[in-house]
Amino acid sequence: MTRRRKVPSAVVDSPLDTRTQAKAKEDRLPSVEDGRLMTYEAGDNVGRFLALLAGRISRPLAVSMTACVHCGLCAESCHYFLTHPDDPTMTPVWKADQIRKIFKRYVDWTGRIAPWWVKAAAPEGDEDLNRLKNIVFGSCSACRRCTYNCPMGVDTGLLVRFTRGLLTELGIVPEGVFNVSRDQWETGNQMAVTEDDYLETLAWMRDEVRTELGTEAVEIPVDKPDCDVLYTINPREIKFDPRSIAYAAKIFHVAGESWTMPKWGWDQTNFGLFSGDDRLGAYVARNVYEAADRLRAKRIVISECGHGYRSTRWEGYDWAGYDQKRPTESVVVTLKRYLEEGRIDVDPSRNAEPVTFHDSCNIARSGDLVEEPREVLRRVCADFREMHPNRRENFCCTGGGGLLSMAEYRPLRLESAKIKADQLRATGAKLVCTMCHNCVDGLNDVIKHYQIPMKVVQVLELVSNALIVPPRRKA
Amino acid sequence: MSALLRLFENEVQIAALSFMAVVYVVRLAWIFRFKTRRDRTFAAGDERAGAGYSLMNIAMPGAMESTRKRPFFYAQFVIFHLGVAAAIAGTFIIPYAPGLFRHAVLVRLFRAVVGAAFVVGLIRMGRRLTNPVLRTVSSPDDYFALALLIVWFAAAVLAMPNRPEQGEAPLIAYFGLTAFFLVYVPFSKICHYLYYPFTRYYLGRSLGHRGALPPAVKAKEPA
Repeated sequence: MTRRRKVPSAVVDSPLDTRTQAKAKEDRLPSVEDGRLMTYEAGDNVGRFLALLAGRISRPLAVSMTACVHCGLCAESCHYFLTHPDDPTMTPVWKADQIRKIFKRYVDWTGRIAPWWVKAAAPEGDEDLNRLKNIVFGSCSACRRCTYNCPMGVDTGLLVRFTRGLLTELGIVPEGVFNVSRDQWETGNQMAVTEDDYLETLAWMRDEVRTELGTEAVEIPVDKPDCDVLYTINPREIKFDPRSIAYAAKIFHVAGESWTMPKWGWDQTNFGLFSGDDRLGAYVARNVYEAADRLRAKRIVISECGHGYRSTRWEGYDWAGYDQKRPTESVVVTLKRYLEEGRIDVDPSRNAEPVTFHDSCNIARSGDLVEEPREVLRRVCADFREMHPNRRENFCCTGGGGLLSMAEYRPLRLESAKIKADQLRATGAKLVCTMCHNCVDGLNDVIKHYQIPMKVVQVLELVSNALIVPPRRKA
Repeated sequence: MSALLRLFENEVQIAALSFMAVVYVVRLAWIFRFKTRRDRTFAAGDERAGAGYSLMNIAMPGAMESTRKRPFFYAQFVIFHLGVAAAIAGTFIIPYAPGLFRHAVLVRLFRAVVGAAFVVGLIRMGRRLTNPVLRTVSSPDDYFALALLIVWFAAAVLAMPNRPEQGEAPLIAYFGLTAFFLVYVPFSKICHYLYYPFTRYYLGRSLGHRGALPPAVKAKEPA
């Protein structure tokens, strides 16, 4: 950039690694060949970046670009700055200014006429774009805590995602972001789970629940039409945590739910949210919606995943240009309904250890669920205690925004996690519950790094623990 | 009253105001050039309530952690903007309703408000010059806009008694600065008030639709 300021943070110097991009091109992956998955090409990337910027900007984005008054109130809402109070480049306002100054230089008035007067500046080459990549991917989890704390209503989270999207179009992305996007484009799920793996894991979990309940009546139906519930999951559940599928299956069985999982379109996660790639977002979300159409399901239920919930419940319909036709809800809402309707009964004494709740940013700040998980936890736990701050003011687990897939930014992420670690410790709880698989991994990293005697659980697990299985549902 | 002061109080102000109005219309047209997307999802809350709550954020220091934890900062904000309102009001009262400033109480009130805003302006300038975050992000426009307001407040305090017979310099400075302001504002950060309704409306509408704002209101998704 012109008039460049020396940036002390090491994160901005992380180089662009294009090895897996080169491999994808060499392998002639369909998503690369047909231009869905963009790879880095040397050339006039600045020109392309500016054209994309001008062409994609929406009105909410344009006013967020222009409205900042540099009051600095956002600084102390950010866990990066709170843990690096001597580094102004960790503030939301500075990070947003890195895209804002380009907007001012090329789109806004004063910056076009007198750029120095408003600190408008243009990227000079790919090195500057790579630096921008490191800022928007590496030093912000797009948690939107600053958005809620901006007196002007500037949506820095939105600006960061927008900038990520422009860079993704140019292949100027962290390697991890490229890899996960590639898997989701190529296989329909972000962990490249094969159909065989998927079906075998479901059968395995069905057998586990059958053994636990001593009945062959338990099913995990796949592609069953005309069900009340189409249950969609996070590929992490297949790869690393299949018990969560078993918990859901057990609860659905006890509740007498008419449910199914789709053979295709089961991944409710959506890396398009993190990469800023609306086309990927549309593709993945549409897979889920079309699965529900195909199977004539009455309701889409999303397993516990923060960004998956935000993507499938909220953003996905807009990305896909698809008008919502049926209720789409988190499984936590389903559980709450079961409890309210008496479809399941629970014994909170089975969860005797103190439990606290971590609000997922994507659910609490960019979604609608704040009280629902608490209502469920109060029913199924003997000792539920709040973390402070909480609800929409909660701090990010630090693994949000896709940061778990970007190893190069891990040291900074874990430094910034001290805020979360302090929050967790102060509760004195033994268990921290969250309704997000990303947060499970993020919190596990925090707990391990800061050596906190705590275990991460999810709502389904606690409900499953507390579940009283009536004799008619057993053997 | 001299012809120069009369010119500054009337024709110059009207010309500057007209210029500002034209630029604002163009600016609004520029904002509306950018597209918005309609929401395709079932609402979990109330868009209008969300937008209303968001727009009223300015009057709710408890709504945000950032202002809740800094009551002094919020008080500064209130005083500063009341000062702006009082100083703007002065530019209309003096030429069009000079009788109002014959009431000593009113003059004292206006001068107190604008004077307090002047002090807050100095505090803000001190903060901007000494806070490393603000120093890093501030542009020349940020400093100039604030400095301009501080000088304008000072000129307003001196001009408020509206006693041209005791010397016209404060009044000429006040109206001269006002005219400059009106021309400069649309190109500076000072026109943030033009964007506030937009940023707040779009944020509030979106979060209201999702049931996130207002925090207490929660509608059910259609069955």
